[in-house]
Amino acid sequence: MKKYQLGEFEEIVMLTVGILFDEAYGVSIKSEIESRLQRNVSVGALQTALKRLEEKGYLKSQDGERTEERAGRPKKYFRITALGKKAMEYSKETRESLWNAIPEVAWKLKMV
Amino acid sequence: MNRNQSKGPPEFFISFFRWFCDPEIHQFIEGDLFELYDQRLEEKGKRKADLLFMKDVLFLFRPGIIGRKKNHYQTNFIDMFRNNFKIARRTLWKNKPSTIINMLGLTVGMTSCLMIALFVLHEVSFDKFQPNADRIARVVMEYSMGKDGGSQKGTFTSTKVAPVFSRTFPEIEKAVRMNDASAILQLNNQPVLESNFLYADSTFFDAFYYEMLDGNPKTALNGPNKLVLTESMAQKYFGDQDPIGQGLEVGEEKDLFTVTAVIKDYPKNSQFYFDFLASFSTMGANQEETYWNANYTTYFLLTNKDAFYTLDEKIHPFMLKESEEMGASVDFHLEHFKDVHLFSPYSDMVPNTSISYLYMLGAIAFLILIIVCSTYINLSTAKSVERAKEVGIRKVSGADQGQLFWQFIGESTLLTFLSLITSIALTYLLLPNFNSLIGKNLSVSELIQPTFLAFAIGLTLIISLVAGSYPALILSKFQPISILKGVFKNTNTAKWLQQSLTVFQFGISVFLIIATLVISGQLNFIQNRDLGYDRDQIIALSIGWNKDNKQISTFKKELKSHSQIINVSRTANSPVNIQSGYSMNLPTRPENEYISVNANPVDDEFIKVTGLELIAGQDFTESMIHMTENEEWEDNEFNYILTENAAAKLGWSPDEAIGKRMILNEEGTVLGVVKNFHFQSLRNDLNPLVLFTSSWGSKLLVKINGENLPETLAYIEEVWGKFMPDRPFSYAFLDEDYNRMYQSEMQLGKVMNIFASMAIVLACLGLFGLSSYMIQQRLKEVSIRKVLGASTWQVLQMLSGNFVKLVILSIVVATPVAYWVMDQWLDDFAYHISVPIWALAVAMVATIGIAFTTAGIHGLKAAWSNPVKNLKSE
Repeated sequence: MKKYQLGEFEEIVMLTVGILFDEAYGVSIKSEIESRLQRNVSVGALQTALKRLEEKGYLKSQDGERTEERAGRPKKYFRITALGKKAMEYSKETRESLWNAIPEVAWKLKMV
Repeated sequence: MNRNQSKGPPEFFISFFRWFCDPEIHQFIEGDLFELYDQRLEEKGKRKADLLFMKDVLFLFRPGIIGRKKNHYQTNFIDMFRNNFKIARRTLWKNKPSTIINMLGLTVGMTSCLMIALFVLHEVSFDKFQPNADRIARVVMEYSMGKDGGSQKGTFTSTKVAPVFSRTFPEIEKAVRMNDASAILQLNNQPVLESNFLYADSTFFDAFYYEMLDGNPKTALNGPNKLVLTESMAQKYFGDQDPIGQGLEVGEEKDLFTVTAVIKDYPKNSQFYFDFLASFSTMGANQEETYWNANYTTYFLLTNKDAFYTLDEKIHPFMLKESEEMGASVDFHLEHFKDVHLFSPYSDMVPNTSISYLYMLGAIAFLILIIVCSTYINLSTAKSVERAKEVGIRKVSGADQGQLFWQFIGESTLLTFLSLITSIALTYLLLPNFNSLIGKNLSVSELIQPTFLAFAIGLTLIISLVAGSYPALILSKFQPISILKGVFKNTNTAKWLQQSLTVFQFGISVFLIIATLVISGQLNFIQNRDLGYDRDQIIALSIGWNKDNKQISTFKKELKSHSQIINVSRTANSPVNIQSGYSMNLPTRPENEYISVNANPVDDEFIKVTGLELIAGQDFTESMIHMTENEEWEDNEFNYILTENAAAKLGWSPDEAIGKRMILNEEGTVLGVVKNFHFQSLRNDLNPLVLFTSSWGSKLLVKINGENLPETLAYIEEVWGKFMPDRPFSYAFLDEDYNRMYQSEMQLGKVMNIFASMAIVLACLGLFGLSSYMIQQRLKEVSIRKVLGASTWQVLQMLSGNFVKLVILSIVVATPVAYWVMDQWLDDFAYHISVPIWALAVAMVATIGIAFTTAGIHGLKAAWSNPVKNLKSE
């Protein structure tokens, strides 16, 4: 179904927000992805994705505390919404069903 | 941790980020950025951290993140536009007096601008339709005789130039010679004088483009007696018949010309003006012996447009060699064909327009626009007190400055566009009058050409911006709190601006009034100046060159038998304008020491007709004229009459000159000396002139006593028909010829007259509006003063005195400027008035008077109003 569409990077962001649970905000999400997946994430790409996910209703945000190391700027914590969870599940299911649909023989052939 | 400036990330990128980032998410992202920056600062050092910060900011500059500051609510722009339009309409309707004043001013101002633009566009477009215009050059000849240095310059060349130059210089692709003439043609067996009869080389169509309806441009003119017609002439002479191959009888000898081609009627913005184009070879004038006999115009088609300069440089050394043995120096220069109409002092077939005349008109249009814009600004700033409440409420309801600014601009745009429509209609209606004023023939079709329309729209937008932006800026800047809390007064800057604009407006008017008075004064001076000869009641008839003197003598006698005709003289040039150049010398002096001089062949009645004053010696006699009738030139015996200064050039006093021998064409005797007279435009000095006896000349000057002009003219025509059946009858009055020499000044005078009066009317209109508003604001004050016993005069003085002060200031500023500018203009004339003091005085008194009356009308109204009415409320 189209309404649960998630891009590849969006899915990674959603998953990371899930992993971090209560601690998911810009910098932590960025470093989590970077350390787990060994890939570079630019602030721009991440923020755009977060904003888009929030607009779609998959994430909700909450203003956090202002700390000195952020020059008094508040953090914006993200959490997965029920709709977000559905989208992630849908995404996972579609992949699994696709995986399952691949005939065994395909793998064998590839190995030859 | 202390965030200190030098340790922080690059300031510029922070502000850049703040500028573009969507304000809703800006804080969070900035926080992230700072946190990351600090981490990196510790791990990788400042340089790396800075670079990464910049990179992050640059990568954040993407859709999704960029967001402009939004208002608290979303504005619906189309609705706002419609609302602004509605409000503008209502405001204009509500303030009828100022709307009418502004509309009137704008319409008049824009109409003058549009007309002037039409004229300028027309003049600038001259010859632009010629595809080769870039690489065509016109040849100007410059020659001087003898050592006295005076050289003559003009577009005359002999037939030698074209063949010799095109052989010598590879830059010349084609050379074209032309001779602008007139010819008598037979239409239904009646002689018709066609004055636009041009002879041109067969290369004419290689250089110049004319759309050919019929015939071959390559062969149309390559042989004698070939003729090309324009479409309308073909229609005139042949009707619906096919003209190609038909014959036309040309000239008094009725030579037969064959029509070889018909060209389409060409645009009017062409410096060539011809109805007939005949082959140059017809004239049989192709000679290569001499550079003299320079009666033709030569054009070169160059291989490319840069060849112009290389060729121009090569000509001088070449001509130095060529003229070595001529005993005179002859040189040629080139002129760009496309610059001829605006920049050359020498006209072709259509009179040139000087570029300075265009600048002058442009400047007038500009000054009028300034006046109009000032009026608009003044009235809107004066009104701003009334509009202030509206601005306050709008601001309180959430309008921001930009919206208000555009609302007021919209108002001025609406007004200007309305004026534009009226102006275009007015221009359309007044075009015939304007044409006769400037002596041009602009057609209505030029109103819809794209450049003109673009100009009109551009002008409208510029006016609405210039006139609208100041009031819009002022009004939109008002602080709602200061407007709404109570009394609101105009700011000092606004008052200062109003006053300076008023000074400016009246300064311009004073300037234009003085200029107009000086120009008309000079024109008056020219028209009434004693030129040393009489030009009233003289009719000039053109009789052609090939008339036998005996025949003309009988013609003259028959004319003189009429009681109204006093004298008749045959001459080559009328005294109004004698340009023909000769050289004179004494038998006792070396042969090559010529003195350049103007001379005119005349008969024994020339001095009687023109009323020249003989101060020594005697007039020519009829027998002396007969002495010049011989076929063999050498047998002729010439007599001379000199002007005083011509005698002085030869070293004689008037009395000494009598009986002396001198050489003009031939050696002859000096018979008399006349007083100097102006035989050229008053721009030139009084030049020396020699009159010599001759039995030829293409003009008859008929002096009449003018009691019964129609009858006299009828009689002349009747006699003409008897002696010159093959020439159509045409005549001109000498004083009209004279006035024609000053045509451009006369036009300038008329144009200035109209625009100067317009300027003063517009300035008064502005003052009228301004004073009405200013006085309205002081009505209460006036009423209280009246209650306390002020007289009408005192009130009036108080109200209008300020305006009069401004007007006096403007006079003080404008008068010296006008004096200086007009002094420069007058310097162009060798004989001119000095800027008259009375003109300055008239301008001053008139301006003060008009200003006082205008401002006084409102002052009086206020002074006479009933104080109770103004004071009862509140």
